[in-house]
Amino acid sequence: MSDVNLAAPADPSTVKAPDEKRSLGTEWLRQLALPIAVLLLLGGFGLADQRILSTYNLLNIAQQTSYLALFAMAQMVVILTRGFDLSLGPTVSMVSVGAALSMAAMGGADANGLLVVVAAILGGFALAGLCGLFNGIVVAFLGVSPLVATLGSMNITLGVATTISGGRPVQGIASSFASFFYTGTVFGLPAPIVIALVVGLVLYVVLSRTVFGRSLYIIGTNPQAAAVAGIPVKRLLVYAYMLCSGLAALGALMMTARTGSGQPNLGGTLSLQSIAAAVVGGTSLAGGRGGVGSAVLGALFITILSNGMNLTRIDGYVQMIVLGAIVILGVVIDRLRLETR
Amino acid sequence: MSSTVALPAHNTSSASRDILHSLLRVGLLPLLLLIVVVGTSLMSPYFLGWLNVLNILRMASFLAIIACGQALVIIAGGFDLSVGAVVALSSVVTAKVMAALSTALGGPELLVAVLGVLAGLGSGFAIGLFNGLCVSRLKVSGFVVTLGTMSATAGIGLLLTNGIPVYGMPNSFVKAIGRSQVLGFPIAIYIGLAIVMVIAFVQRRTLFGRYVYAIGGNQEAAVVSGVSIRRHLVGTYVLSGVLAALVGILLTALVGSGQATLGGDTMMLQSIAAAVIGGVSLRGGIGRVEVVAVAALFLTILSNALNLLHVDSRLQPIFLGLIMVVAVALDEFSRRRMSSV
Repeated sequence: MSDVNLAAPADPSTVKAPDEKRSLGTEWLRQLALPIAVLLLLGGFGLADQRILSTYNLLNIAQQTSYLALFAMAQMVVILTRGFDLSLGPTVSMVSVGAALSMAAMGGADANGLLVVVAAILGGFALAGLCGLFNGIVVAFLGVSPLVATLGSMNITLGVATTISGGRPVQGIASSFASFFYTGTVFGLPAPIVIALVVGLVLYVVLSRTVFGRSLYIIGTNPQAAAVAGIPVKRLLVYAYMLCSGLAALGALMMTARTGSGQPNLGGTLSLQSIAAAVVGGTSLAGGRGGVGSAVLGALFITILSNGMNLTRIDGYVQMIVLGAIVILGVVIDRLRLETR
Repeated sequence: MSSTVALPAHNTSSASRDILHSLLRVGLLPLLLLIVVVGTSLMSPYFLGWLNVLNILRMASFLAIIACGQALVIIAGGFDLSVGAVVALSSVVTAKVMAALSTALGGPELLVAVLGVLAGLGSGFAIGLFNGLCVSRLKVSGFVVTLGTMSATAGIGLLLTNGIPVYGMPNSFVKAIGRSQVLGFPIAIYIGLAIVMVIAFVQRRTLFGRYVYAIGGNQEAAVVSGVSIRRHLVGTYVLSGVLAALVGILLTALVGSGQATLGGDTMMLQSIAAAVIGGVSLRGGIGRVEVVAVAALFLTILSNALNLLHVDSRLQPIFLGLIMVVAVALDEFSRRRMSSV
């Protein structure tokens, strides 16, 4: 079945008939299509401007990708179950101001050490957890379509984010927090990249090797069959939405550390960007197909595209048009893949 | 799958249940409307002031026109996220064309205005056609396609104007369409009423309207019955685009300049909210535009009331979000009770 389904080797529907020899070559080609596109994009921009391939900029791209990759992974988890999370962007804003406020309550920029970092993390994750719980319960137990449920919670989280912050940036980020999530390095790698790598690996294992992860694929492929097979569909859906919000919260903490304050509009267009990254990477909106690899590749592709367009001084408005075209192209290709199978 | 293509009731008990259900469906919204109107008029003396009433009716007409298009798309099983961006694009295109023609021709203002309006409607037609063709020919999800066109359309609007308002429309156009009144009411209200009535008629009495229900209710059954799915799907998206463009033109005439910031995400979200609160099912096949128009009126009055009662504007999205989720959850609940018997 799937070609970009790197994280789902054991998905029952991926089992191919053994006589499909001819498609093996094209199968490989399809798997490599996006990585090749990423390299071509990088090479093309490199020809246009030497600076794009400099070590400094490549590291910069990797760092920027780590934020979007986290959000794309978050979105991917719920898209696997035929869901959506439109509240992801406002959740990021809400977590950002929530974490900043809890740091400010602990003494603000003067307070240092582990305690204030823990306070920020707890504050952020508590808010995100509530949002995920709300989404999950409304979708799974009240039977509301994910689109409306998260559209509703998007408005609610947006209201909460601007209300608790008063609509203004919240100052007072502790330097220990900034070093933990932004300025710190591990073996020379910036903290955001390390965090994204670790989270990606853990999520990969969870999705491909645990009962929870495998169940998400089955729920997305065929919810009725999943229920009949005894999978606690409703409970797992709630977990999926909470996992999504949790991953978004982590990305929000990283972005808060980077901007140095809690921003009530930090999330901005992230809901749509994360969906775009997931879809371009090959996560299918029909559910059940996708994985960590596809989410990260999609995020990388979009980051390189916007980084390259920025450095080659392409108008920001033109970039919006290009992003829109890429999203449409992504689903069209996804559709063609489904049909040629 | 429930479908509204009204089947005769099998027995009296299900008929009485139907009546109960339709009472619940139609009765809840006017009741809420009444509560908000009475409550607000008791608390604020300005609420029932003539100017405020006119303002509410005008804004509600704008929202109702867009929501009607959105409702048709959703009834056919789709989604149109691009309506807000189309409002902006048509505003910009209309103003640009009128300004250019005024300087080029200098001539009859009526001709300039008509050509400008046609250009604006044409831009909405083009975006709707693109959406429709992508959805019907390439069979990709309407949600993602319109997500893409939303970004691209907003980009084109901004690119055309650089974000600067476009002036230079004929004065008579602004006066006649935007600011004149007939029998004490702004023209926009008549246009809104006419469109709701025409579409309500189309839904009930024309093949197109019935086929839209059939496609949304059960696409396979519609195909088997010989309904041309593609043509009607394209029709719903085109109609949605043109109606959004019409609102863009009306807003342009009201503010007296073409602006790429008109419409936007708020209008798109509100149109979906109005459709959903108005009883349009996101599963397709169910919904009446006249109820949607009442929902649009309700949303407009609600936000007007919250403003008049000095409710923090930052808290207002929370209300909108909660109302949306509750409305859909109630709808889902009553549907389940019906189907379980």
